[in-house]
This record gives sequence, structure tokens and C-alpha cells, in this order.
Amino acid sequence: MEFDRWWIMVAAVVVLILLLVFLKPDPYQRILLFVRNGIWTTISITGLSFLLVMVFGLVVALGRLSRSTIIKGIATVYVEIIRGIPMLVQLIFWYFAFPSLIQGIGDLFNIAAFSNYKANAVAMAILGLTVGYSAYMSEVYRAGIQSISRGQMEAARSLGMTYFQAMRYVILPQAVRVILPPVGNEFITLLKDSSLVSVVAVADMTRRGREFMAANFIPIQTWVMVALLYLVMTLLATRLVAWMERKFKMER
Amino acid sequence: MAPIIQISQVHKHFGAVHALKGVSLDIEKGEVVVIIGPSGSGKSTLLRCINRLEEFDAGSITVDGIPLDSAENINAVRTEVGMVFQQFNLFPHLTVLKNITLAQQVIRKRTSIEAENIARQLLTKVGIPEKADFYPGQLSGGQQQRVAIARALAMNPKIMLFDEPTSALDPEMIQEVLDVMMSLAKEGMTMVVVSHEIGFAKAAADRAILMDGGLIVEEAPPDVLFDHPKEERTKSFLSKVL
Repeated sequence: MEFDRWWIMVAAVVVLILLLVFLKPDPYQRILLFVRNGIWTTISITGLSFLLVMVFGLVVALGRLSRSTIIKGIATVYVEIIRGIPMLVQLIFWYFAFPSLIQGIGDLFNIAAFSNYKANAVAMAILGLTVGYSAYMSEVYRAGIQSISRGQMEAARSLGMTYFQAMRYVILPQAVRVILPPVGNEFITLLKDSSLVSVVAVADMTRRGREFMAANFIPIQTWVMVALLYLVMTLLATRLVAWMERKFKMER
Repeated sequence: MAPIIQISQVHKHFGAVHALKGVSLDIEKGEVVVIIGPSGSGKSTLLRCINRLEEFDAGSITVDGIPLDSAENINAVRTEVGMVFQQFNLFPHLTVLKNITLAQQVIRKRTSIEAENIARQLLTKVGIPEKADFYPGQLSGGQQQRVAIARALAMNPKIMLFDEPTSALDPEMIQEVLDVMMSLAKEGMTMVVVSHEIGFAKAAADRAILMDGGLIVEEAPPDVLFDHPKEERTKSFLSKVL
């Protein structure tokens, strides 16, 4: 396989971070150590949300392609509503409004477990990102599935396969090649949008950066460091997607 | 013995278009039936109704004693009925061998060794055993269509449906596909073939049918239908095709 020259860019950013940390440990090493926990929070929230988005997005996509008017209607309304509301507003809803709603219902019907409900910030953040991004991901899946000719489904069905067997063995393996680039795109956007969870009490990279800035009053250095950390992750993800694309092409 | 395919008063609408206007047709076991007709006559639609790739609005179809009504019955019928399409519809992401083994393993629950043995036998039968590890995109149209026939045969169907199997082929590849179909007919396979290959019809078919406007216009042994048609509509159609 030909060497992918864009890896140099990833290496350059990593080297830049290392140079800053070792040549000017004050403040860069201090910043890095301070936001370290946030790095893991960002990675795990993004990773977990993305896994759920991959599954739930497919369910919604199949719903939108369903012949049942009711299922199709529910899926379509979900996608249209979610896509029309800013991600930040959705996250705020899940963390602040949703628990109040549950408590209100608990008070109304005398359910103690509901009345005492306290939202877990990380869980609500993952829920919010999953609900929000599944709407976008379902559209990616739908486009991919629809790009496969109808004859493929007919051939599979004519051999006696059920709809889901045909999807699993015939349609989806072909759709994967089509949707890989846009799925990679969604992942990178999700990674960046995960910084929004800093507003709803999750100590991710962005929130840790803000805390460090508030305590030390060195905004330039703080945000250069945080930005570089995000950049490493997104560039790495881009390379990974490019690698997977080439791998799939070669297997063809 | 009851006919293996019983089609009774089948109607089909596509929106405002009345594609099938009450078609009835019985096909005996081992019979080879060729259906001809102008485009839009409903011949492909009728064929696709037999394995319910197309839903019909009224009437009934019974295949090998199983009425096409419930979802279970439709899947049961589909495993007994092989279908070959105009556009081949091979699975492009799988090798020729995997194309033929996939449904055997998923539906018939055969082991991969069993399925591969059957696949290789069938590839030999259709004359391209050396293409087992190729991808469909690396084969000519005629070879792809022969793989498609092998794929359908691997399920041990009792009936084979052919929907214009040679229409998308270059002229020099038509014969290799017809040869395979001819040998199937000789083995006693029940076949329903939508095709304008008059030579094949005369050599292999027991019955030829002309459809027009969603109805069967004339049916007769192929020699009679092609050489001494009774209906004016048949004469005018044949004068354009022959």
C-alpha cells in the first residue's frame, strides 16, 4: 500500500505538542496535566455515543425505508424535529429540562423513584449526542442503502432470504463502501461537537480548559493547547477513515 | 396431478395502469412455457407475481400446492422457485463461488463444504468452473448470467423463472445462455420464460403464449403459435419481431 503522506501532518502536530510540553513545561505541561482527565472524557463520550449512533441510526434509517406508513412517519418526524433543533439546545434540554420533567411526573403520580431522579451529567450528554446524531446518521445510511440497485434486494428475496437477511448479507455490505466517507465525516463532527457537553457539567477537554484559564489567566496558551489536542484527534480520525476506504477498495 | 403453478384471475394495478386484467394460467410439472408480447403487455409482471416479487391486487396463485398469501408461504414458495433476471443481479461484493453458496448456507443451512461442492458442480454444469474465485465484475455478461442460473439452481428449485434472460446480452453471448437453459429443459425442469428468442421457444418449449394489454391473447404449441397464429394481434406482433 502506498504511504499516505498526510500522516506527516498528524506527526507534525504531535511533535509540536511534545516540543511545547518539553521546551516550555511552564505553562504547557501544567495545562496538559490539568486537562488530561478531560481528554479521556472527550474520547470516551465520543466513542460511546458514536457506537450508539451507528446502531440507532441504522434502526431509524430502516424505519424511514419501511413500507409501513406509521413506522415511516415516526422515523421521519423524529429526523425532521431533531435536525431542526441546535445540538447545544438539545444537550441543555436533556440535562436540565428532562430531569425536571421526570420529577414533575413523579410528583404528579406519587412515584418516589421519579421524584428523586437526579440526572447523571455524562449519561445525559451521551444520550443527547446519540439522539441528535442518530438523525443525521440515519440519513447517511438511507442514502447508502438507496444507492444499491433494487435488483439486489429482489435477487436476494427471490432466493428465499427474508428482508433482514437480504439487508445483512447483500445490501449493507455493499452500502458500507458508499457510506464510509460520510460516516467518517459524522464521526469527526461528533468529536468536535462533544465540546458542547462542557456546558452541561461534563468535565471534558473544553471544560477543563476553561477551568484552567479561569484559575491561571493565560488564555492564549490554554486554548492553543486544547485546540492542538482536538486537532490531533480529528486528523488521526481522518487518516483512519482514509485507510479504511482504501482497504475496502482493495478487497473489491 | 394438479398443475404445479395455478394462476387464477390475477389482477395487478400500477397506480392508474391496469397491468394484469384477470390472467389465468395453469402450468404442469416439467412443462416449459415461453411468454412473448410487446413491452407493457404484463408478461414480466405476471412472471414476478409467481414468486410474489410483485404483489397482485386480486385473484390467486398457488405454487406446488402452496397458496401465495401469508409471509411464511411466500418465503416457502421462493425457496422452491428460482429466478433469473434480465440484469443478472449477481452480488458484486462476493465472488462467484460465494454468490452461489450464500443462500444455500443462510436458507438451506448447508455447511460451507457442502455448499461449495454443489456450487462447483453447478459451475461445471454451466461451463465456467474456472471462474469460481472471480468477482462478477470480472466476467462477461453471458458468464454472469450463467452464474445467476447456477445460483438459482443451487437452491434445488422445482420451478425456474426467466425474465428476459438474454435481453441485456451482446449477440454473441446469447447462445451460451440459451444452451444452459436448453439442457435444463431437457432434464425436465419446469420453466416459465419471458423471452423473444423464437429459436429457443421452438426447440425447447411445450407451449408459447402471447400476452398483450394485460391479457393472454393466444396460447398454442410454439410451432403453431409462431408459424400459424390464429389471432390478428399475434400475427402483427410476430411480423415485427421475426
